[in-house]
Amino acid sequence: MKLFDWRWLAVSSVLAVTLMARAEARPQYGGTLHVTTRAALTSLDPADSSQSASFAQENILRLIFETLVSIDDAGRIHPGLAIGWKPAANERRWHFQLRRGVKFQDGTLLTPEIAAASLRAANPAWTVSADSDGLVVERDVADPELPAELALPRNAIARRNSGAAPIGTGPFRIGEWQAGKKLVLAAEEDYWSGRPYLDSIEIEMGRSFRDQMTELELARADLVEVAPEQAHRASLDGRKLVISEPVELVGLVFAQDAKTPEEKSLREALALSIDRASIRNVLLQGAGQPAGALLPNWMSGYEFVFPTDSDLARARRDRDQSRNVPAWKLGYDANDSLAKFLSERIALNARDAGLQLQPAAGATGDLRLVRASYTSPDPWLALAGLATLGGVATTKSAGSVEDLYASEQALLNTRRIIPLFHLPVVYAAAPTLKGWTLRADGSWNLADAWLGAR
Amino acid sequence: MAGGPITVTFRRKLLAVFALTVFVTVAGVGGLVLILTRQAFEKNEDQRTSALFTQFQGEFTRQGEEVARRVDAIAGSEPIGRMATALSATAADSAAYFDLAKSLADTHRLDFLELVDSRGIIISSAQSPAKFGYPENDFENLTATAERTPFLMQQELPDSTALAMMAVRTSRVGDHPIYVIGGRRLDKSFLAAIELPADMQVLLYMNRGDHFSSEFLIDPSGSTAVPSTLVTLIDSVRQYNQETTGIVHRSADQGDDELFHAIPLRGVGKDHPLLGILLIGSSRRSYVELKRHIRDSALLVGGGGIVLAILLSSWAAARVTRPVELLARAAHDVAAGDWDARVDVPGNDEISQLAESFNRMTSELLAQKERTVQAERVAAWRELARRLAHELKNPLFPLQLTVENLLRARTQSPELFQEMFQESAGTLLAEISNLKKIISRFSDFSKMPQPQLQVVNLNETLRGVAQLFQAQFEAPGRLPIECKLELDSHLRSIAADPELLHRAFSNLVLNAMDALPNGGTLVLRSRQEDANEIIEVSDTGSGLTPEECERIFTPYYTSKQHGTGLGLAIVQSVVSDHGGRISVKSETGRGTTFRIELPADRQSVEHLGNPDTPAKSIL
Repeated sequence: MKLFDWRWLAVSSVLAVTLMARAEARPQYGGTLHVTTRAALTSLDPADSSQSASFAQENILRLIFETLVSIDDAGRIHPGLAIGWKPAANERRWHFQLRRGVKFQDGTLLTPEIAAASLRAANPAWTVSADSDGLVVERDVADPELPAELALPRNAIARRNSGAAPIGTGPFRIGEWQAGKKLVLAAEEDYWSGRPYLDSIEIEMGRSFRDQMTELELARADLVEVAPEQAHRASLDGRKLVISEPVELVGLVFAQDAKTPEEKSLREALALSIDRASIRNVLLQGAGQPAGALLPNWMSGYEFVFPTDSDLARARRDRDQSRNVPAWKLGYDANDSLAKFLSERIALNARDAGLQLQPAAGATGDLRLVRASYTSPDPWLALAGLATLGGVATTKSAGSVEDLYASEQALLNTRRIIPLFHLPVVYAAAPTLKGWTLRADGSWNLADAWLGAR
Repeated sequence: MAGGPITVTFRRKLLAVFALTVFVTVAGVGGLVLILTRQAFEKNEDQRTSALFTQFQGEFTRQGEEVARRVDAIAGSEPIGRMATALSATAADSAAYFDLAKSLADTHRLDFLELVDSRGIIISSAQSPAKFGYPENDFENLTATAERTPFLMQQELPDSTALAMMAVRTSRVGDHPIYVIGGRRLDKSFLAAIELPADMQVLLYMNRGDHFSSEFLIDPSGSTAVPSTLVTLIDSVRQYNQETTGIVHRSADQGDDELFHAIPLRGVGKDHPLLGILLIGSSRRSYVELKRHIRDSALLVGGGGIVLAILLSSWAAARVTRPVELLARAAHDVAAGDWDARVDVPGNDEISQLAESFNRMTSELLAQKERTVQAERVAAWRELARRLAHELKNPLFPLQLTVENLLRARTQSPELFQEMFQESAGTLLAEISNLKKIISRFSDFSKMPQPQLQVVNLNETLRGVAQLFQAQFEAPGRLPIECKLELDSHLRSIAADPELLHRAFSNLVLNAMDALPNGGTLVLRSRQEDANEIIEVSDTGSGLTPEECERIFTPYYTSKQHGTGLGLAIVQSVVSDHGGRISVKSETGRGTTFRIELPADRQSVEHLGNPDTPAKSIL
């Protein structure tokens, strides 16, 4: 009897522990997720281009709004609000079939007319029309990248009423909105893909990296941003970090084209003078990768062929080809301490090569230090975005890797952009945050996230 | 007298002397006071500057000690110890510490902090975080000053340069020391900590670059205007690297001027480079206002004194100079021929005695003159009588002999009487004629006419005289006389009476011929001397004695046996009537020269006619 009792007790205990562990791993409904961001959004309209793009903006908009299609890390297109698409007229006309039964957060049914109006607001140059089961997008030239472009957050479908915030079809609806400060999202009970586990998400905006980390330490935030250069230290402090693939390009962008071969040589000398390895090791604290190309390797697959090592001797030779060495003014974002340090270090490196570079806070200058996120996992779209940043016109034509390489090489040969680093986005999450994922392009997926016991 | 020399009277001189004395006295006293004031001001200025510099040094030392204390604390802090320990490992990576300096500098409130390894490579820099991995400037000098007193240093920042008070300390773990180089910026707040008197200011110039730049001038007052004189002062210190003093003008008002002492501030190292210049300025307003006050007072006192001196000295000078003026006027009257002039000066002082002596002197001179005139008049009458007696006696004696011969012949030789009568009658007529001539000469001398002025060419007149006597120079029965004409062709025409001049020159020629009984040379010479035309008549005769020279122009005086003594007197009269002067120079045995100076009165000549017109010939 006694032996039986002990066996029964042991089996019961193992069963209980197993059940408890399964209960801990099983998603739970309810709870409020607290998120902090550095960006301070001033608008929740996806088509509003007045505010600078940021990962936070795109992630927040994805919680409220949805796009017709989505794109995965490999650049493949997946259905979203559209369940099918078909090109016509040599890819100048695209037909998208809308998912049926999808409702906006105010209960309005998503119709082709509303979707077409939303796309027209975001893309005034497009010709978008509705038909019986979907909408048609027409372009003047062949646009094979149109589906990928429709996956961009700015092309999310929104229903706009004058005087009110736009309404989306996403898993969360706007509960409270204080522009630039705070956004409270509530779970959409009738979300077409199923109610999210979280009851609400509170997003505090405009918080510095230091403040965000403090909030996390004080358990007042569940998900915070971490500066890439602070990731190493945060990991040493035992933080649970999630790091994306490199999704941000740090580079120098000249304000104008190089007018003479000598000027191109000077720009080449500048590119060769920068000791990217030391900068990555010290200023970036090992984060990111030195960049010799515009697109990161995970996106293009050939980035490793571009050299990143500094070559001071060659830089001096290039510099000596010019009799007149101008004093360049290097502008950087005054609110970005990393940009300041990077600019000063670049100026020191340039001085070693005999170049004159004077860092100055502000957007103006002969060249600027920029941090640009890739607009899309699609390399063509990403390259087109960088070309726009550098003031160079390029075409968004899908093609082979060789074509992509040639396009990128051509863009680099303009010497308008000098790539320096590819940086990831880094987040630190509280242990209670479960089920969330960070995609390679740095976007959240909080629709399936839930909060475990503290 | 328009155009003439300004007559400065004794009274004016006396006034000028009085006024000048007052002016010089006031100016001297004012200048002396100014010099003493300036010296006192400069002495005071030096003391104030010295005190301010001492205060600066004290503040520098105090803050330097504070910097050293903080750098000490950092060097001994746990983060530095941990870093030094970690870096002492062979494969240690210093990248993790690149921002340590910034956090330590913030914690210890230092403006500058750099952590440098034993090779002089910057591990972390608070002021230039991007400088990690670069070598520290002037590392050897810096490490040599480790553990010593704070020092000045220029800090290169990413976008500027700053002057800093630095200290170096070492944190040593194992064989690889870590140098902690920290400091504070010398800026407005540092200067503001120096307590300044109200009228003083202190500036700091950071010596950088080849030329002055206002961006390197630290001015706690916030003034942005940098006068050029201050730039010059700074450049002087930069050039010579020594203390300099100069006045800085901030406006046209001298009261805004400042006296600046520029003191070089040097850094550490072998050459002690000039890193900065401390400028201690002191307003000169008080000095300028004091100087103005002294100057205005001196001008007021001096001006008033001069006016008062003029009034008083006018009164005094009038009292002093009036008797002198009376004396001068009386002397002038006496000189003008008024021998009755008298000076009436009451009192018993020197001037009164002088006036009395003057009166006595004029009285005696008048009496003496009257006696002299009377004596001369008597002498002249005697001479005239003697001359007349002599002249008349010569013809009278033959007359007497002739008459006595006639009488004797009538009584003793009646047959010869008729013949003798005829002869004697001729003799008598001849002598009577001679007597008439003598009387005629005297009559002519007494009736010398006034000159009738014409434009006369003296050279022509002299040539006429020479031509007139040419026949006599070569007359048979006497030894020949050579007549030479040495005439100045540029001789000017004068206003004169040609007939009188001809007569005068003829008399001189006759006189010369008389002096040349044995022949010789006669020279007629003309030339210009200043405003006068000079005529000279020279002979190579026996010459005159000095006594003869003195008396030769006296009327009726003659050294010749048959002369009347009127020839040269007539010449002198003619020359005198033309405003000229005649003189004689003679040497016994070598000849005599008569020199006539005739004034060339251009106005008279122009009044009479065109001077270029040849003179009217008198021949």
